[in-house]
Order: sequence, then structure tokens, then C-alpha cells
Amino acid sequence: MQVGTASGCENPTSYYFNQRGIWLTYVLVIFLAHLFILSMPFFTTAIAWTLTNVLHDIAMFVILHVTRGTPYMLDDAGTARKETQWEQLDQGKQFTPTKKFLTIVPIVLFFLASFYTKYDKVHFVINASFCALSVIAKIPWFHGKRFFEINKW
Amino acid sequence: MMAIIPATWDMYDMFQAVIQAPAYHLIFEALLIIWIFKLMFSKAYAPNKTILTEKEKEELIQEWQPEPLVPDVPDDHPVLQAMNNNIISGRPDKVMVINGKSVVNMASLNFLGLLGDESIEAAAQKALSKYGVGSCGPRGFYGTMDVHLELEERLAKFMNCEEAILYSYGFATIASAIPAYSKRGDVIFVDEGVCFAIQKGLIASRSVIKYFKHNDMDDLERLCIEQQKEDKRVPKKAKVTRRFLVVEGLYAKHGDICPLPKLVEMKWKYKLRIFVEESFSFGVLGDTGRGVTEHYGINIDEIDLMAACLENAIGGAGGFCCGKKYIVDHQRLSGLGYCFSASLPPMLASGAIQSLNIIIDDPGMFGKLRNNCTLIHEKLSKIEGMRVVGDPVAPIKHFSLSEPSDDRDLDNRSLEKITQEAMQRGLALTPARYLEHEEHNLPLPSIRIAVNVKLTEEEIDTCINIVADSCQAVLSKSS
Repeated sequence: MQVGTASGCENPTSYYFNQRGIWLTYVLVIFLAHLFILSMPFFTTAIAWTLTNVLHDIAMFVILHVTRGTPYMLDDAGTARKETQWEQLDQGKQFTPTKKFLTIVPIVLFFLASFYTKYDKVHFVINASFCALSVIAKIPWFHGKRFFEINKW
Repeated sequence: MMAIIPATWDMYDMFQAVIQAPAYHLIFEALLIIWIFKLMFSKAYAPNKTILTEKEKEELIQEWQPEPLVPDVPDDHPVLQAMNNNIISGRPDKVMVINGKSVVNMASLNFLGLLGDESIEAAAQKALSKYGVGSCGPRGFYGTMDVHLELEERLAKFMNCEEAILYSYGFATIASAIPAYSKRGDVIFVDEGVCFAIQKGLIASRSVIKYFKHNDMDDLERLCIEQQKEDKRVPKKAKVTRRFLVVEGLYAKHGDICPLPKLVEMKWKYKLRIFVEESFSFGVLGDTGRGVTEHYGINIDEIDLMAACLENAIGGAGGFCCGKKYIVDHQRLSGLGYCFSASLPPMLASGAIQSLNIIIDDPGMFGKLRNNCTLIHEKLSKIEGMRVVGDPVAPIKHFSLSEPSDDRDLDNRSLEKITQEAMQRGLALTPARYLEHEEHNLPLPSIRIAVNVKLTEEEIDTCINIVADSCQAVLSKSS
């Protein structure tokens, strides 16, 4: 923190997801969580994949699009308080590598889940809706938009 | 093993399923694949960035007028003159030596006369030989010494608060305390007449600032009701908006006292958090010098935070905030002036402790100070062509022209001449100086008279006669 100089330090929330180690960790966590769900004897392969997909999408939606503010900055006078984590990433730039990566992961998960659920109709409805939620929330047009005053203030 | 890699017949089934995948599914997947391609071939961009054409760029470059790095300052600027002409040797006590001439001092804010006290000097010297001169580190980085903790504890005990926090610079105290609590989106109601340090703190907080007229409670109520309506309209926003009320105990720019009982009433009525800046009332108002709360007999717990600097009545350096422990402690990580400045030199902390001892041992001096203040107020108000602004018990008097002209510079020059006349007759006075372009609400030009408790009645008489003579000399010449 360099208070009183012309350039203050950057908000860490905007760049911590850029590290390749974080990308690898993210993929590994999904994989391990999937293995854990799969190891439950009462889940079939199809249910295990749908569960992985749904849990991932919900978790990432909460982490990226519901959680606001930054825990690291003392002196930003509340600038980041109203911005979600996704909006803070790369200081609000669109189509950066990190944002592309975070968008493609739920899509790939959806493809895998579709394959392992044998393109079943019920599984499709569940998986597709959660996948759509993740992808649509990341479209640039939705940047900074709030609907029905949810998460607005 | 079976679970992770399905058996071959299972795989066969699955590939059969791919071939027989329903159309809606394939369409959805196609859309997603298109989106992936779109992502792959899109370049990163920052939204809302205005892109200028070459012509616009040219125009902007043409328009730009470089400002000089250092603006031109006339050689006869009053502040430069004062610096060159008024050079003090020795202590600026009740009587001080300026340019080799001994004059009575009514310019230093040394209300209790502690600046010339020998026991304070002895305490500071003892600390100097024990700790050295500076501390070379902020409080969090090996800058905390036992005297700092002792002073904080003593201040908290003196003010009947749970905790106090010590700053190394008086101006930075309130300027750091306000932005530590109030952030973007919060609302601060503040008196128009607050001092420059508070104004800087308000700007640093990035909050919405609502000024009410100086000491005008009806105007404050009007703003509060406006805010209440706004809050009813958007209750979700109101839930996360903090509302603050910032006032000074004794206004440095006006020399009057805030109507604290009414302010506390407003605090409870409109759910505000009240911060009181006591730089000029701490060690001055009240029977034992505990400030504006004691002056009005208000319980200290009604005030959320008090800030004061130790540079006036205490005659040291630095400042402190005090209040409830959970409120004050927040500043230890969020008060920028606390976190990022080297701590108060330990000898100054020791000096301040000794000052507190003196104040506690001799509470009679506050009555004496009050007498001096009212006496001087009364006598000043009798001088023709001038008027004195503020409360009679305030030790800081703003003495201004009773018929100010439209030209501020002219008035400033007349007041400047009065101080020069007074200096020749053996009395040091100073005009109140402001950064005129940056002040929010500039008061009328005035001479700032500070009352010292050590002045005897005869000395006061002589001083007031000098003031009257100088005023007459200057005003009769100009009219």
C-alpha cells in the first residue's frame, strides 16, 4: 500500500484469478469434487455428473456474481463495495484470458455432463439451465446490470 | 474402478446415445460452441472508454495550456512578509521576543499557558535522554513506546472514555478519522463553518456531503427530513447507508460553541453517528477542561467519536481520538494518518502527559481562563469601528471590521495594518489566514485573538488599549 504517492496499489481481487496456479487449482478442485460425488455408492454416473455440474455452477455463481466488495483494500473508500467479483476481475475489462477461461469451464462441464447422462431429457433441462445461468451472467452486456434491485445497494 | 471408467458395453451405449442425441440438445450445444468461438476470436477491451478521432486529439492538444509548476507569488504576499518580518527568538510564551523586541503574545493558541511551563520541559528532557528524539517508525512497526500507551490511557481516563488513539499530527487526526468510517455512498451532515482539516477529511471519505448553515438546527433538520424521504423511497439503499454528523465543539473559524444538546437530540431522532472535533474546546471548555460535553453537562457516551489536537491548549504536538473501544480500535488499521506516519516523538508524549497532570492538579485555571475570555470579549466589543465575533467564553476571538467593504483584499490589508500598528506598540496579533480558494465557506476577514490564562487584568487593559489605539490609528487614516 502506497498512500500519498501518485500510483496506489491495485485491488488484488482484480488479478488473483489471472495466475495459472489458480486455473490449475480450480480445475483440480472440480475434478476432486467430482470423484468424491462419484464415490458415493447411491449415485449413478449420470446423477454424479449432473450434481457436479449443478454444484459447480451454483458455487461459481455465488463466488463471482453474488459476492461483492474486496477484503484487501483499506483505502479505496468503498469503490469496490458495490461491484461483484466478476466485475472487479481485470478492472472490468471484457474478454480477457481469465474471463474466457472462466466462461469456457462451465460449457465444457456441460458437454461432459451431457455425454455421461446419455442426452437424457430431464438431465438436459437441469444442466442446460444452470449452464445458461453461468454463461449469460458473464456476457459483457450484463456487466454492472442489476435486476429487480437484487444486489443493487 | 468400475465407477471411473465404464465397461466397454457401457461406452458402446454412450456412443450410441451421442448418435441419437435429440435435436434441441444439439442446437443448444451448437450455440455454446459458437459462443466459445466468439470468445476465442474476440480481443480484450475496456468498456466505456471513449475513443478519440485524430482530429479530436489534435484539438485537445491545441487547447491544452500548460500551467506553471510553481505559480507566480508576489514578493509582498502577506504570509511571506509575516514569515520574514516576524521572527521569534525564544519561547512564544505570554511575552515573547520578535525581532529583538519584547511584546505581549495574543497570537499563539497557548490558552493555558502550558507552552512556557518548566515542569513540562523537564519531563520532555527526561524522555529525550531516555528515548532519543524521534521514533522512526509508524505505531505498527516498532514505533509504539510505553509513553504512547501511557498517554493514550491517560487521555482516555481524563475524557472518561474507554479508549483513546494517538496521532502524530493534529491536522491528520480528524482528516484520517472521518474517512476511516465514512465511505463512498454514505452521507455526512456537516456544519458550514468547520475547519480546513475536517473539510479535507470529508473529501477523502468520498461520501455524499451535506452542509447545513452554521449552527442552524432548523437547516439540519430540513436536510435530515430530506434524507428520510429519500430513505423511504429506496429502503434497500437506506439499509446500507451510514449517516454521520460532523461538528466542531468550538469553531476555529467563528469562535462560537456548537449547540450540542440539540445536536445529540437530532442524532437519536434521525439515527446519525456524531463526531465532535474538539481541537479548540479540549482543555478549554468545562469546569475541568473536558471540552464541550462537560460545558453542556452531556454524558460522553452520547458522542460517538471525539477528536482533538494536542497543539493548542496542551501546547504539544499531535492529536487524539477517543470514544468506545470498538469504535476507536477501528482506526488502528484504518486510520491512514495513524498507520502510515511515524509515531509521536516520545518526548512530546511525555510532555503531553505532564500537561495533563497540570490540568488535573489545577482545575482552577479553567475558571480563570473563562474570566479572561469574557473580560477581553467585553472590552473588545466596546472598541469603535470593530466588532468581535463568537461566544464570550471562547478563548479564540475573531475581531473584524464592523463595516466590511466589498473588497476582501482591502479589508485584509487594513487588518494587516492594525496588527503592524499593534506590534509597534508592543502587542503581537495575527490576522486569521485561510487558503481562500479552497475553503468551503470563507468567513469575513478578521484578526484572530488568542486568550492566555496567564494574562493579568492590568495586562489585559494595556493590551486592549493597544488594540483600540491601533484600530483608531488605522481606521481614521483610511476613512
